[in-house]
Amino acid sequence: MAMELSDANLQTLTEYLKKTLDPDPAIRRPAEKFLESVEGNQNYPLLLLTLLEKSQDNVIKVCASVTFKNYIKRNWRIVEDEPNKICEADRVAIKANIVHLMLSSPEQIQKQLSDAISIIGREDFPQKWPDLLTEMVNRFQSGDFHVINGVLRTAHSLFKRYRHEFKSNELWTEIKLVLDAFALPLTNLFKATIELCSTHANDASALRILFSSLILISKLFYSLNFQDLPEFFEDNMETWMNNFHTLLTLDNKLLQTDDEEEAGLLELLKSQICDNAALYAQKYDEEFQRYLPRFVTAIWNLLVTTGQEVKYDLLVSNAIQFLASVCERPHYKNLFEDQNTLTSICEKVIVPNMEFRAADEEAFEDNSEEYIRRDLEGSDIDTRRRAACDLVRGLCKFFEGPVTGIFSGYVNSMLQEYAKNPSVNWKHKDAAIYLVTSLASKAQTQKHGITQANELVNLTEFFVNHILPDLKSANVNEFPVLKADGIKYIMIFRNQVPKEHLLVSIPLLINHLQAESIVVHTYAAHALERLFTMRGPNNATLFTAAEIAPFVEILLTNLFKALTLPGSSENEYIMKAIMRSFSLLQEAIIPYIPTLITQLTQKLLAVSKNPSKPHFNHYMFEAICLSIRITCKANPAAVVNFEEALFLVFTEILQNDVQEFIPYVFQVMSLLLETHKNDIPSSYMALFPHLLQPVLWERTGNIPALVRLLQAFLERGSNTIASAAADKIPGLLGVFQKLIASKANDHQGFYLLNSIIEHMPPESVDQYRKQIFILLFQRLQNSKTTKFIKSFLVFINLYCIKYGALALQEIFDGIQPKTPLLQSLIGLFELPEDDTIPDEEHFIDIEDTPGYQTAFSQLAFAGKKEHDPVGQMVNNPKIHLAQSLHKLSTACPGRVPSMVSTSLNAEALQYLQGYLQAASVTLL
Amino acid sequence: MPTLDAPEERLRKFKYRGKDASMRRQQRMAVSLELRKAKKDEQALKRRNITNVSSDPASEQLTKGVSLNLQEIINGVNASDPDLCFQATQAARKMLSRERNPPLKLIVEAGLIPRLVEFLKSSLHPCLQFEAAWALTNIASGTSEQTQAVVESGAIQPLVELLSSPHMTVCEQAVWALGNIAGDGPEFRDLVISSNAIPHLLALVSSTIPITFLRNITWTLSNLCRNKSPYPCKKAVKQMLPVLFHLLQHEDGEVLSDTCWALSYLSDGCNERIGQVVDTGVLPRLVQLMTSSELNILTPSLRTVGNIVTGTDHQTQVAIDAGILNVLPQLLMHPRSSIQKEAAWALSNVAAGPCQHIQQLIACGTLPPLVALLKNGEFKVQKEAVWTVANFTTGGTIDQLIQLVHSGVLEPLVNLLTIQDPKIVTIILDVISLILKAAEKLSEKENMCLLIEEIGGVDKIEALQLHENPQVALTALNIIENHFCEVKQPNPCPSLLIPTAYWFPQEREDFLLPHSYIICLCDGLHYQR
Repeated sequence: MAMELSDANLQTLTEYLKKTLDPDPAIRRPAEKFLESVEGNQNYPLLLLTLLEKSQDNVIKVCASVTFKNYIKRNWRIVEDEPNKICEADRVAIKANIVHLMLSSPEQIQKQLSDAISIIGREDFPQKWPDLLTEMVNRFQSGDFHVINGVLRTAHSLFKRYRHEFKSNELWTEIKLVLDAFALPLTNLFKATIELCSTHANDASALRILFSSLILISKLFYSLNFQDLPEFFEDNMETWMNNFHTLLTLDNKLLQTDDEEEAGLLELLKSQICDNAALYAQKYDEEFQRYLPRFVTAIWNLLVTTGQEVKYDLLVSNAIQFLASVCERPHYKNLFEDQNTLTSICEKVIVPNMEFRAADEEAFEDNSEEYIRRDLEGSDIDTRRRAACDLVRGLCKFFEGPVTGIFSGYVNSMLQEYAKNPSVNWKHKDAAIYLVTSLASKAQTQKHGITQANELVNLTEFFVNHILPDLKSANVNEFPVLKADGIKYIMIFRNQVPKEHLLVSIPLLINHLQAESIVVHTYAAHALERLFTMRGPNNATLFTAAEIAPFVEILLTNLFKALTLPGSSENEYIMKAIMRSFSLLQEAIIPYIPTLITQLTQKLLAVSKNPSKPHFNHYMFEAICLSIRITCKANPAAVVNFEEALFLVFTEILQNDVQEFIPYVFQVMSLLLETHKNDIPSSYMALFPHLLQPVLWERTGNIPALVRLLQAFLERGSNTIASAAADKIPGLLGVFQKLIASKANDHQGFYLLNSIIEHMPPESVDQYRKQIFILLFQRLQNSKTTKFIKSFLVFINLYCIKYGALALQEIFDGIQPKTPLLQSLIGLFELPEDDTIPDEEHFIDIEDTPGYQTAFSQLAFAGKKEHDPVGQMVNNPKIHLAQSLHKLSTACPGRVPSMVSTSLNAEALQYLQGYLQAASVTLL
Repeated sequence: MPTLDAPEERLRKFKYRGKDASMRRQQRMAVSLELRKAKKDEQALKRRNITNVSSDPASEQLTKGVSLNLQEIINGVNASDPDLCFQATQAARKMLSRERNPPLKLIVEAGLIPRLVEFLKSSLHPCLQFEAAWALTNIASGTSEQTQAVVESGAIQPLVELLSSPHMTVCEQAVWALGNIAGDGPEFRDLVISSNAIPHLLALVSSTIPITFLRNITWTLSNLCRNKSPYPCKKAVKQMLPVLFHLLQHEDGEVLSDTCWALSYLSDGCNERIGQVVDTGVLPRLVQLMTSSELNILTPSLRTVGNIVTGTDHQTQVAIDAGILNVLPQLLMHPRSSIQKEAAWALSNVAAGPCQHIQQLIACGTLPPLVALLKNGEFKVQKEAVWTVANFTTGGTIDQLIQLVHSGVLEPLVNLLTIQDPKIVTIILDVISLILKAAEKLSEKENMCLLIEEIGGVDKIEALQLHENPQVALTALNIIENHFCEVKQPNPCPSLLIPTAYWFPQEREDFLLPHSYIICLCDGLHYQR
C-alpha cells in the first residue's frame, strides 16, 4: 500500500510526530503505535525526509530525522526468509537523496542522517550503492567545510568497522575500492586543510571547523591503515607523518579551552595522532622506523608541557602508553638510555602523572565504588597513573638500576616533605607510596599480591618505617587516603613482608574496619580476606585459627558493624571477609552462631527485596552454608535451629519467585536435608511435589540445584516417596526425560536416574524400566556425545550391580530382540559421534539459556560430596568393555571367545578386536 | 604490476581448531588480495637488457657512429635495404636500452613491432635478428599492454625458432625475449609453452655454454614455472623438473637463485604439485641452500621448503628428514625480518602436523628462537609465530604443551593481546584457553591461572571482553567465565562458580511465570524445642 506524498499526509504525520514528544504516555504511546502501524507503507520514509527538509517547525524537523533514522535501523536490513520491509522504489529514492540532504541540513539533523547513511551503507555499500564514494569525494571540492565535515563523518562511520573486523576477501575488496577512490582525495584534503589552518591562524571559529576536519581525517587514516599498510599510504608516508608530527607540536591559544573536564579539539586531535603513530610503530615498524625517533621526541615534549587537568587524561595516557610500548623494544633502547633522558622522563613524565589529583580525591570521597574498582581491580587501563606505572615497568626492562636510583631520590624527598607538615603535604607521601609500589612490583596476582619484586627496593624497611606508623595512629579517620595506601601496601606486598609483621598488622586492619571512609574499611576487609587465604608451609593457611583466636570477637563484631556503615550495606568485600573468617576460624565461631545467623538472615531478607549485588549475595549464602556445616559437624541436632531461622525467609523467596536466589535456596536446603540423619522430615515432603513443576525446570540456572535437592530427597526419603508419593514417580521420570534430551544437561538427568536406581525400592520403578531404556536409546540415536556415552555406561554398570546382568540382558532383548547385548554395546560405541565438541558444551549452555540471567551459581560451602555410584569413573568405555570381557574370560577360560565368535557379526567382531588391542588384553 | 606472491596469499595449511586428525589437514586458501606494496625481495617478472655505455667499450665500438632520431628510425626500419634496416633497428634498440627513460611507448606507437618481428625471421642476417630480438626483449619488458603488442604481432613462434639458431648471441637474446613474454602472466606463459619452447630451451642447457647464457635460460625457465590460476600444465612441469634438479646442483648464485624461484612457484600449490617437486629429490639440496649467506638464494629456497611443508604429513616428513628443522632455528634468528617471517611460517606448518613432527620441532631447539620472535619480532613475524604456537597447541600432546609453556611462550603471547589485529587476538585467546584446559587435566589449572594473571593476562583478557569484534569479546568472556571467575577456595569443596550473569550484565527479562506454585515451607514444620 502506498501513502500519497500529499500535503494532507504531511500534515497528519506532523501531528503524530508532535504527539510522540508529549510527556504524557496516554498521548505519546498511541501516536508511537500509529506511526509503527503505517511505516510499512510505500512513501512513508519519503514523507519523513520531506518533513525534515521542509517543515517550518524546527522541532518537527529534528523529530522527523530521529524517527527516520530509527525506521532505517529497524527496517533497512533484508533478513532472509522475511519480507522486504521497504519497497524498492523507496530504497532507490532514499539513496538518491540522502547524501545531499544530509549535507545541506543543520548539524543536529546531519548527525541523524549520517547515522542512517552508515546503516544503509553497512548493507548496501559498495555493491548496491556504487556511486556513494564518488558522490562523497566530489564534495571535497566544494570548499565548504560544513559539507566536508558531513562527508568525513559519514565516511568515518562507514569505514570504522575496518578496525575490528577479521580479514576476509570481501572486506579487503571493499577496502581496496575505498582506497582507490578515497585515499588520494583524502590526502589532498589533509594538506589543504593544514594550509588553511595557517592562513586562518587568527580566526577562532574557522580554526574550530578545520580542526574538526583534521580529527576526522586522522580517524579515517587510522581505519584505512588498520588491516594492513596500503601501498598508497606507504608511498605517501612522508606527507602524512610530517604533517602529523607538525600537528603534534602545534599549539594555538585560540584553540585552548577553559573547560577542565572536557577534552578540546587540540587534545582530541593529538590523542588520535598518538594512536596513529602507535599503530604504525606496532604493526609497520620496518616502514615507520625512520619516523619513530621524531615522534618519540615530540610525544615526550608534549607530555612535559601538558597540564594536570582531567581534559588531558586521554591524551596523556595515550602518549605515555606510546612511549611505554616503544621503550621496551630492543632496537629503540638507544633512544632512552642516556642518563639525562631517563632522568627527564622520570622527573617530568612519570612523577607528575603519579600525583594524587583533585579529581582522584573527589572520586575517593564521593564515588568510592568506582575508585575501588579502578585502584584495586586494575580497571584503570586508561588512567594516567596506570599509564605511568606501565612506563616505569617498560623502562625497568632495560634500565632497572638507573630508574630505581632516580626514583629513590624522589621518594626520599617526597617523604621528607610529608614529614615537615603531614596535614598539608600528605599527597607527597601518597605519591611516594605509589612510586614505590609501581617500582617494586614486577608481577602481581589477586591471590598472592606481588609475586616478583624489584630487588633494589627494600620493601620490609619501607613497611616498618612508613606504613605501620600510619596504621598505628589512634585516629582511624585521619588522612584516609594514606590509610588506604598503607592497607593496599600490605595487601599487595603480603608475600614479601615477613609473617611476624603481617601478624602485627592484623589487629590494625580489624580496627580500620571501623573507619568512616568506605575505601578504608573496604580495603581493611579485603586485606584481611587476602591474608586469611595465604598459604604457609604444608599448604595449610599461613595464619592458623589459633593465631587469630585472640581477635575473634572483635573481628566478627567489626565486620558486621562495617555492614551498617553508610554506603556499605551490601559491600561484597566485607561479606567475602565474613565468609573467609568463618572458614578460617571454624569451631571458634560456634559460640557466636546464634547472633551471626540472625544477622545473616536479616540481611538476606533485606536484600531479597531487590537483589542487586550478585557477589555480595553469593558470599552471603556461602557464609550461611559455612555456619550450618561448622555447627552441625559438632552438633547435628542443631540443624532444626537453622531450619527454623531460615525457612521463613526461604518461603518468602520462593513465593516471590526471587530468581537470583532460588538456586541458592535449593542448595542450602539440600545441605540441611543431607544433614538429617534419619528419614526425611515431613516438612520437606510437603515441598516435594512443587519441585517437579515444569516451570521451575525451564530455568537453566535452577537445574543443578534442583537435581541435587531431588537427589537428597531420594537418598533420605526413598521409602517415604515409594509409600506416600508413588504417584510422583512419573513426574520424577518426566524430569529425567526432559534433562536427558539436552546435550547440556543430560549428565544431570543421569545423576537423577542413578539416584532413583540406587535408592528407590526396585518394585516401585519396575513398570518404568523399559521406558527408561527406550528414552536412552532414542537420545543415543539422535545425538551421541562422549559425555552421554560415559554417563550411559556408568548407568548400565550401576544397573547391573543393582539388578543383575540378566536383568540388563532382558531389557536389551526386549528392546532389540535378536541382537546380542554385546553387539548392541559395540553398536553404541560405533554410532556416528555427534559433531559438537564435548569440551565446548558450555556454549550450548549459554545459547540455550534465555538471556544469561538464569545461570547456575554453585555454592562451594554447600559442599556436595562427590558420589560415584559405580565406584570408579569409566574413562574409556571401549577399553572398559574389553577389560570386563577379559576378566570374565579369566574366570571361565575358553568360553568367552567361542561365545563372542558365534554371537557377533563380522563387523562387530572386528571392532571388538580393536578394543581388545587398545586395552592390550586377549580373551582366554 | 602487483605480484600475487606475498606469503599470505599462498597456501597455508590450516588445521587450527580442527576436530580430528583428518580434518586437521585442511588447507586454507588465504585472502588473495593485497593492500600492501609488492615485495621488493621477490624475483623480477621482466627484465630489460640495458646497455651500460661506460663499461662496455666493445658494444660502444659496435654501434659507433649510428645515432638516428625517431623518424629516421621509422624510415630505416621500413626500408627494404637490410643494412638500413639493421642500422635503424640497432638505433632503436639502443634507445630502448638506455638506462633512463627508454622510449618504449614511442617505439610501440611508431608501429615498429611488426617489422621487428619480421626481422626475427631473416636468418640470412643474424645481426639483424639479434638487434630485433633485443629490441623486442626490451619492449616486452614494459607494461602488460606493451608485452601484449609484441605477442599480438606474432613474435613468439619466430623467437622459439631462434632458439635453434647457430648463433649463440641470437639464441640467447631469444631466450631473454621469451622470458619477458612468459613473465607477463599465465596466458602468455602458456602461449610460449604451447609453442613448444620448453624442449628447445632444455636442449640449450649444457656445461659448455657461457654462464651468462645459462643464467638467462634459468631465468626464462623460472618464468615458465611462475604464476598460478592456472598453473603451467603438468606436462610442462614434468619436462622442466629434471633440468631444474640439475641446475640446482650448480655453483653460480644467480642460476641457483632462479632455479629456487622456479621450484618455489612449482611447489606453491596443491599436494599433488608439491609431490611432483618432492619426488624429484630436491629437498636435501634445498635445505643446504637455506644456509646460504646470499639472500637471493636463501629467500627462494626457504620459500620452496615452506611451500613443501604445507603438503601432506609424508611430504613434510621428507622435508624434516632432509634437515629443515636443523636450519630453521638459525633462520628464525636471521637479521632480516622477511626471512624470520618465512621461517616462522614454515615452522607453523610443521607444527600443524602430527605430534611426532612437533616432537622433532622441540628436539631441534626451535622453541627458544620462536619465543624470542614472539617477544621482539616485527609484527608480521610475530603473527607467524603466533600461528605456530596455535598449531602446536592444537596438535601437541599434553607433554609437548608443558614444554611449550616452560619455554616461556605465555608472557610474550599475553603481551600480544594488545595488538591491533582481531584475528591474532582471537587465536591467542584460543591458545590460552587450550593451555588452561590442558592444565586442568593435569590438575595444574590453579597455578596456570596464577601464571597468566602474573604476567598481566587477566587484565588484558578482561579488557577484551569489551572488544568491538563480537568473536573476540565472546572468546575473552568465555575464558574469564570458565577460568578466572573466582579464586579457588582454601577448602576441599568443589570450585565456586560465579554465575555468568555477573560478567554479562543483562536486563532482567520477564518470565511471566504463573505463580501457581505458592510454596510454604513452614506449613507442616513441627519443631521439637
